[in-house]
Amino acid sequence: MESNKNLWKSQLDHIKTWGRINSPWLLHFNSGSCNGCDIEILATLTPRYDLERFGVKLMGSPRHADVLVCTGAISRQARDRLLRIYEQMHEPKFVVAVGACALSGGVFHDCYNVMGGIDRLLPVDVYIPGCPPRPEAIIDGVVKLLGSLKPTPIITPQVDLQPENEPETFLEIGRS
Amino acid sequence: MDTQTALQTARLIVEDLSEKVESPETDRLDFYLKDKKNLVVAATGLRVQHLGYLAAITGLDPGAEQEALEVLYHFCTGYVTITLRVNVPKASPSIPTLTDIIPGAEPFERELSEMFGITVSGLRNPAHLYLPDDWAEGDYPLRKDFQLQVQPAQSQTKVN
Amino acid sequence: MQKKMTGEQFTVPIGPQHPALKEPAHFSITVDGEIVTNAFVRLGYAHRGIEKAAEERNWVQTQYLLERICGICSHIHSTAYCLGVEKLAGIEASPRAQAIRVLVAELERIHSHLLWLGVAAHEAGFDTLFMYSWRDRESVMDILEGLSGNRVNYSANLLGGVKCDIDSAQDEAIRKGLEFLKERLKHYLDIVTSDALFLLRTRGIGVMTRNQAEVLGAVGPTARASNVAREIRVEAPYSMYMEIPPIIILETNGDLEARFVVRIKEMIESCRLINEILDYLPPGELTVRVPRRIKPAETIMRVEAPRGELFYFIKSNGTDKPERVRVRTPTICNMTSVVKLAIGSQLADIPVILAGIDPCFSCNDRSVLVDRRGNKACIWTWEELRQYGIRYYYGDRT
Repeated sequence: MESNKNLWKSQLDHIKTWGRINSPWLLHFNSGSCNGCDIEILATLTPRYDLERFGVKLMGSPRHADVLVCTGAISRQARDRLLRIYEQMHEPKFVVAVGACALSGGVFHDCYNVMGGIDRLLPVDVYIPGCPPRPEAIIDGVVKLLGSLKPTPIITPQVDLQPENEPETFLEIGRS
Repeated sequence: MDTQTALQTARLIVEDLSEKVESPETDRLDFYLKDKKNLVVAATGLRVQHLGYLAAITGLDPGAEQEALEVLYHFCTGYVTITLRVNVPKASPSIPTLTDIIPGAEPFERELSEMFGITVSGLRNPAHLYLPDDWAEGDYPLRKDFQLQVQPAQSQTKVN
Repeated sequence: MQKKMTGEQFTVPIGPQHPALKEPAHFSITVDGEIVTNAFVRLGYAHRGIEKAAEERNWVQTQYLLERICGICSHIHSTAYCLGVEKLAGIEASPRAQAIRVLVAELERIHSHLLWLGVAAHEAGFDTLFMYSWRDRESVMDILEGLSGNRVNYSANLLGGVKCDIDSAQDEAIRKGLEFLKERLKHYLDIVTSDALFLLRTRGIGVMTRNQAEVLGAVGPTARASNVAREIRVEAPYSMYMEIPPIIILETNGDLEARFVVRIKEMIESCRLINEILDYLPPGELTVRVPRRIKPAETIMRVEAPRGELFYFIKSNGTDKPERVRVRTPTICNMTSVVKLAIGSQLADIPVILAGIDPCFSCNDRSVLVDRRGNKACIWTWEELRQYGIRYYYGDRT
C-alpha cells in the first residue's frame, strides 16, 4: 500500500510538472559570452523561427520564468549574478546551457577570469553544443527538454508477457 | 592635415622632449620620451595643433626580469599614427593622467592601471574597469610574471 | 525657476538578464525628479582575459580566439588581426582574397546595423520594427551561410588569405539578396524619418555637438552623426578599400534620429560596395603561405568595424606566439560620450541614448553606472526603465 502511494505521488508530481512546463517561460542570461549565442537565441523569436508558436515566451524577470537559458563561460563578475537569478526562480526550474562556452568554457576555458562551463555552478538539464548553435538547434534542445518531462505510464506490467507464437526474427513478424 | 604635414608637425612638437625618434613603419612615428613628466606637455602640444585624437593606450611588459614597463600613447590622424612611449620603472610605477586635457582617456587609463599595476596620478575615478570587484590586490594580469593564485573553477562552490 | 531637489536616488541596474540588449550590463543613474544628474559605468561581466590568453597561443590559435571576442563583429576582428600579422610577416594576401575579405566585412556591417536597428527600435517600444528588421536580416545570414557555412562566427579568414570562395551561383544569390534588402532599407529610412511616434523619441534627443564628439573621442556612426568625419575606410584605407572607396555618410544634427539615418544610409552604401566588389572580383589564389615564426616587430592596424574604429597593436618576438596583442574596441570610446550625454537628459531617454551608440558590450564588457545621492534607494530592472520611457512618451497610446 505504501509503495503504491509513493508511486502515485511521484506520478502526480510528474503530471504537475508537465502541466506547468507545457508552455515554458524562458529567462535568458548571458554570463560572459561573445553574444553569438545570444543573438541566435533572440533570432528564435523572430518570424523565421518563431519560438512563440510553441508557447515559449522570453521573460524579463527570474520570478516569472521556468527555464533558465544560459550562454557564455561564467566570468567571475557574472558568477554571483547567475547564482542569484537561479535562486530567485521558483520550482520547478530547469537550466539549459547554450553554446560551447556554456558547456565547457569553449576557447576561453583556461583564461584567468573564466570559471568554465555552466555545470560548474548549476545543475544543467540540457546541453546545446555549437559555436553558436543554430536557432533550430536551440529550439530542438528546448523541445527535447519538454519531451523529457512527459510523465511515464502509471500502470507498469507486473507479469512478463510471453506471447505463444513469438516470432524468431523480425522477418517473421512481417509474415505472421 | 595631410601625412607629411602631420609627421613634420609632430616632430616639431615632440622631438625635443624625446631621447629617440623611430619610424617603425611608414606613416608611423615613435617618440621615446625622456621622462614621464614630458608626457602631458607632449600630449597638450599635439591636441593644440589638432594633431589626431587619442586612439588607444597600450601597456607593455618586456619581461619579468626587466626593470621597467612601457606605456604607449597612440595619436591617430588619417594614415598617421604618432606614438609617445614612456618608461615606467616597476619599482615605482606611476604616470600622470591625461584626463585633464583628454577626457576620453579615462577608460584607457583605468584599464592600464588594473592590468599592469601602474598608478595613474590625478585620475579622478581609479576604480576597476574590467576586473571583478573581488580581484586580489597586487595581481596584475597582463604582467609577464602573473600567475593566477587560485584557479576560479576550484575556488567556487557548486549548487546542488 | 528653481528646481526642487527631491533627494531621490535611483539605482537602475541594467541587470544581466536583459531581454533586449543581450549584454550583461550594469548602469546606475542618479535622478533628481526626471533629470539625470549623474551616471557611472561599470564593466566586467564579459571580461574573459583574452589579451593574456593570446600570449599563450600560437599565431593560428590566436586568430580563432580573437574571432570570438564578439559574435556580431567577429569577422572584422579577425580581419584586423590577419592584416596586422601579414604586415609583420612582410607578405600580402592575393587581390582575390582581399576582395572576399572586404565583401564579407561589408555583409557583416549590414547584418550588424540591422541587428542594431531592431534592438534600438525595441528599446523605443517599436517591436514591429524589431521583428521586421530581424526578418530581413535573415536574408543576409543566408548569404553569409552560403559563403562560409555558419550564420555567426563565419571564420572566413586565414592568416594569408581566406577560406571560402565565391562562384557564379553564390554571386547570383548575393545580388538577389541585396536587391531585396535595398528595397527594405529604403522603407526603413522612410519610417525613421517620418513616423511621428518614432520621431517623438529620437528627434532632438541625446544631442552631441560636433565639438563634444571630437573632445570626447567618439568614433564610428556615433561621431559621423555629429558631423565628425572619422571613417577609417576613407581616411586611412586598407585592403580593397583603396581600389573601391566607400562614400562617407555624415549627418549634422547629432541627435538619435541622425544616428538612425547614418546607419541605414551606410547599409545602402554597403550594398553598393558589395555589388562593385562582385563586378571587380579578380581571379587568383585564395591563400599565401605565412611563416610559423615571425621576426620581432610591432605593428598597428586600424580598421572600421560596424561600430567604429577598431585598433589593434600586435607585437611579435621571433617565436610562434605573439608577444602582445592589444585590442581597443570602438564602444569603449563611445562609452565616455554616452555617460556625458546621459547627464542632463530625461530618465525616460536613457534606454534609447544607450542603444544609440550601438554598444557592443562583449567587445568591452558590461557597463555599470552606479551613483549615490540622498537616502532613499530604488532599484529598477531594465525592463521597468524601458517601459517607463514608453509610458512617458506615449501614455496610453500603445
